[in-house]
Amino acid sequence: MSTTAITHEPVTQPPLAVCRPGELVRVYVWQWPVRLTHWCTAYAILFLAMTGFYMGNPFITVSGSAGQHFVMGWAKTLHFYAAIVFALSVITRVLWMFMGNRYSTWDKFIPVARKRQTGLWNSLRYYLFQLRQPPGFVGHNPLAGFTYLFVFLIFFVMIATGLALYSVSAPVGSPFRVFSFLLPLAGGAQSARWIHHVGMWMILAFAVHHVYSAVLMSQVEARGTVESMASGYKFVPCEDLVYSGYRFLDRRDVER
Amino acid sequence: MSESDNWFMQELEARGVSRREFVGFCSAMAAVLALPRTAAETIAAEVQVAEKPVLVWLEFQDCAGNSESFLRASRPTAADIVLDTLSVDYHETIMAAAGHQAEEALAATVKERPGGYIAVVEGSIPTGENGAYCTIGGRSALQIAREVCGNAAATVAIGTCATFGGLPAAAPNPTGALGVADAVPGVKNLINLSACPANVENLTALVVYYLTFKRWPPLDAWRRPLFAYGKSIHDNCERRAHFDAGQYVEAWGDEAHRTGYCLFKKGCKGPVTFQNCPNVRWNEGTNWPIGCGHPCIGCAEPDFWDKMTPFYAHLQGVPGFGVASSVDKVGFWATVGVGAAFAAHGFMSLGRRWWYSEHHPAARERAEEAQRRADDEQKGGQP
Repeated sequence: MSTTAITHEPVTQPPLAVCRPGELVRVYVWQWPVRLTHWCTAYAILFLAMTGFYMGNPFITVSGSAGQHFVMGWAKTLHFYAAIVFALSVITRVLWMFMGNRYSTWDKFIPVARKRQTGLWNSLRYYLFQLRQPPGFVGHNPLAGFTYLFVFLIFFVMIATGLALYSVSAPVGSPFRVFSFLLPLAGGAQSARWIHHVGMWMILAFAVHHVYSAVLMSQVEARGTVESMASGYKFVPCEDLVYSGYRFLDRRDVER
Repeated sequence: MSESDNWFMQELEARGVSRREFVGFCSAMAAVLALPRTAAETIAAEVQVAEKPVLVWLEFQDCAGNSESFLRASRPTAADIVLDTLSVDYHETIMAAAGHQAEEALAATVKERPGGYIAVVEGSIPTGENGAYCTIGGRSALQIAREVCGNAAATVAIGTCATFGGLPAAAPNPTGALGVADAVPGVKNLINLSACPANVENLTALVVYYLTFKRWPPLDAWRRPLFAYGKSIHDNCERRAHFDAGQYVEAWGDEAHRTGYCLFKKGCKGPVTFQNCPNVRWNEGTNWPIGCGHPCIGCAEPDFWDKMTPFYAHLQGVPGFGVASSVDKVGFWATVGVGAAFAAHGFMSLGRRWWYSEHHPAARERAEEAQRRADDEQKGGQP
């Protein structure tokens, strides 16, 4: 089976048949900002969960003079730096929804197009073993994209409650004090803390599903799903490309 | 005018409070108000000549704890006299009048001085059953609060019941109890002094602020004075160094508890509670809860009781999972559940792939075709 590499900048040439049925085509899906923000977010979450879990339940304790130790202090410091990476990463990814290629746009998360709405249903049927083949989408399948919408919402809630809790102890004169307006919206600092903690578990549960499904899909579909988040390329069956509307491909974009 | 001419100084003399003590009190007030030391002079000058503000004290669903705090059963101090500068026209617990006479006094104040008195509200206001759970002289607390607070120059909601509903508003809140801000929306110059009970030092400081500057202090999002509620207990806590170091009380009476380590793991709500307890302390600066080894229970915060219980746990449980549930327990098993569900899904997917490769007609045809081709090749290969 031969593979074909394609880059996806819009091309104004007349449509061409670029692949034969049954052929796997190498498609550049995830641009570098998408991959960078993905890994920044992933590792930030890892750090945030570890330090955050300690902050909620300090299982490492020390003895001796208090002046000689700074365990919780370091956990908090690392948590805050990881939070900066996380927040900037999420914001960058959201901005990229309006700047990036066709696979990264906002409408991959909010299914406004009829095709993605039916695709959402068909993806669900595929995962419930009602369909043999997944509907042919090159980037996020509509169900995954819709799930990520809720993941992003949890991210926003985590950023908001995190900033609200940070504002409690932000020094006088710190610009972060402006986020104290979020405290009443969360129902007070104790509620913000509870929401922040529950949000962590929701993200961790999602992460288990996310990693597992990515590995599973790589195995079942054999399309390089996991590897695509490093390289940016996916291996897509020709039929899916045609279904996804890749009729504008130019011979220049095709490397045989 | 000599000093002893004004009534305030005469009062000080009559009660045996020295000038020195009074100046000391003014300095302390400047400190509570987070004002520079020099402000003490201004305070001293203004408090002496201030006109007595008229005050009515309403008690609704309460335990009179804030009245106790206000009356302070201790030796007379300068603070008492400042509180005595308030002309208390109505206070159910301490007034001499009773019954209809008392109600007439209240009605007279409201009628004769609209916008010219301060209303202090203690206790929550029940709104269920049209306010029938708390009536005084045949009128509901809600009716009284609407009329008295609505015509006041300012309303001070004192204690957590009056500010946020407090204990009477704890789930299931049978009386529909609300704080003043929610029960009587739009009250002019509402100032919340939450805590259970509110610290009298903060009430005194509020009065001193008003007498000195003739206006009300800056407030936070819950209309609490920033001088008393601007910082979390955690950030001013004398045990904070132990928190940052990683030294916590694990069990009551253990070595860490006796040494005075941080009470965070015993459910201390100091990090989410805004009050100046660590600085001002209680009972004339004698001590405060964390100082005597008990975690903060967060009594000054909205939804006190429901959100701050269990007192000895970091977080409240998860609704629907029982009172003893913990977020970590539920979250851990939910995560395991998600993992298990997707593992099951994965095995089914792999199983399906295998089944199709073995049993699907198309697959079988392909296999047979391959077998045929192999056989042909084998035959063709033979000479």
